[in-house]
Amino acid sequence: MQERVILHSDINHCYAQIEEMRHPELRKIPMAVGGHEEARHGIILAKNDMAKAYHIKTGESLREAYAKCPQLKIIHPDYEAYMYYTEQVKDIYRAYTDKVESFGLDEAWIDLTQSISLFGSGKAIAQEIQKRVWQEIGLSVSIGVSYNKIFAKLGSDMQKPMGLVEIRKDNYQTLVWPLPVEDLFYVGRATKKKLRYYGIDTIGDLANLSKGWMKDHFGKMGELIWWFANGEDISEVALSGAKEPVKSVGNAITAPRDINTFEEAKIIYYVLVESVASRMRDSGLRGNVISISLRNKELSWFSRQRKIMQATNIAQEIMLVVLQLLKENYTFEQPLRTIGVSVSGIEDDQALTQLNLFTSEEERQRQKQLEISIDQIRNRFGFAKVRRCVTLLTPDLSEFNPKEEHVIHPVSFF
Amino acid sequence: MMKLYKRYVDVLTLHDRYGNLIPKVMIWDNGMEYPIDRVLEIRKSASQVGGCGILYRCRIAGVERNLFLERTRWFIESAKP
Repeated sequence: MQERVILHSDINHCYAQIEEMRHPELRKIPMAVGGHEEARHGIILAKNDMAKAYHIKTGESLREAYAKCPQLKIIHPDYEAYMYYTEQVKDIYRAYTDKVESFGLDEAWIDLTQSISLFGSGKAIAQEIQKRVWQEIGLSVSIGVSYNKIFAKLGSDMQKPMGLVEIRKDNYQTLVWPLPVEDLFYVGRATKKKLRYYGIDTIGDLANLSKGWMKDHFGKMGELIWWFANGEDISEVALSGAKEPVKSVGNAITAPRDINTFEEAKIIYYVLVESVASRMRDSGLRGNVISISLRNKELSWFSRQRKIMQATNIAQEIMLVVLQLLKENYTFEQPLRTIGVSVSGIEDDQALTQLNLFTSEEERQRQKQLEISIDQIRNRFGFAKVRRCVTLLTPDLSEFNPKEEHVIHPVSFF
Repeated sequence: MMKLYKRYVDVLTLHDRYGNLIPKVMIWDNGMEYPIDRVLEIRKSASQVGGCGILYRCRIAGVERNLFLERTRWFIESAKP
């Protein structure tokens, strides 16, 4: 096979840079894009270079950030604008190939294998893209050029801003192998800890092990990251506009205040579960694995899931499992900050169903019809027109419409 | 270099039968109308006063000015604040 030419392009601290582009005076002061403090979505989403000099970190709370830099200017995020301008940037990528795969708003892989005979080498096109994005949109992008997606992404992280690094078969051992092993895709906190335990600190350490050993100690994923470390990633760059089939439908929210009791969590879950069920019905889907995710004040996440007999998109059925999972797995010694629910094991809602002897299908259909009617009322007259009594107990927790006020979730690599 | 300011302005345009959009008159805050003598160049560009869009490099009342179509509205890189 012809060696591929793949770029990974990353808009440098994207949200902050777009704000600087729109308002150049922000370049001269420490600035960060962050959520509203009052609504408790108070975290730093992106920061500019001057804020970085104060060691402001993405993901930390506004309070922590102000402690480091009291004069920090916080800009509230304007997602609509970020989507518009990042799309403009991607339009420039799409001028060179139809294989542009977005990875979140700010990153994309660009497969130029078929384009180099038209436009010049991968590096030359990368330079041209950088120049055009800078002149036409006023944004700087860092680009990695390589023969696979993993190395291209590592390359785009190496120099900032406006970096351009080419990782080839003759230099990857000097460029990639000294990097810490957690820079590799799919090496998360847990895997990193385990790798460290075995004395594997760099990507090179990992690459020089035997594939069999990795498989024995880390399973299928271990083999995969071994391939990644050796540059043998063969995953394709998806065509522009290609849509992955939905694998799960979920929703999470950071509550406006701490969630202290089971009852309070239950109220929020009613709202979340109804929105998830409603979205599944809208897309003609149902699922049979229900999982909840919880995050406490210390910001540590965990999730639990359970498989059920019959795939469903009925809120009442999902809610039952959610409450079971919550009861079994959390004691509320610590208040919760963010809770979420998702349904996977997705199938078509029209698929044939194995009926269950112990539940009444008639009753299920009636419940589903009821929920569809509620959706219709809400679509016509507004979300708050029909609601559960229980949500009135704590209006400060439950007054949100998760279906419309949608959160942008990071996407997974596969 | 001369200090420039970002000023959003009203613009009368001609949308011709071939699909071109051509700015004809710029209207300042005080209602003064400035006819656009000629469009010298049209291209996508970022602006030094912030923002980006489609740049119409124009000659307005004898001087060259950069007029930008930023999404749905127009601004000018103005010499006056």
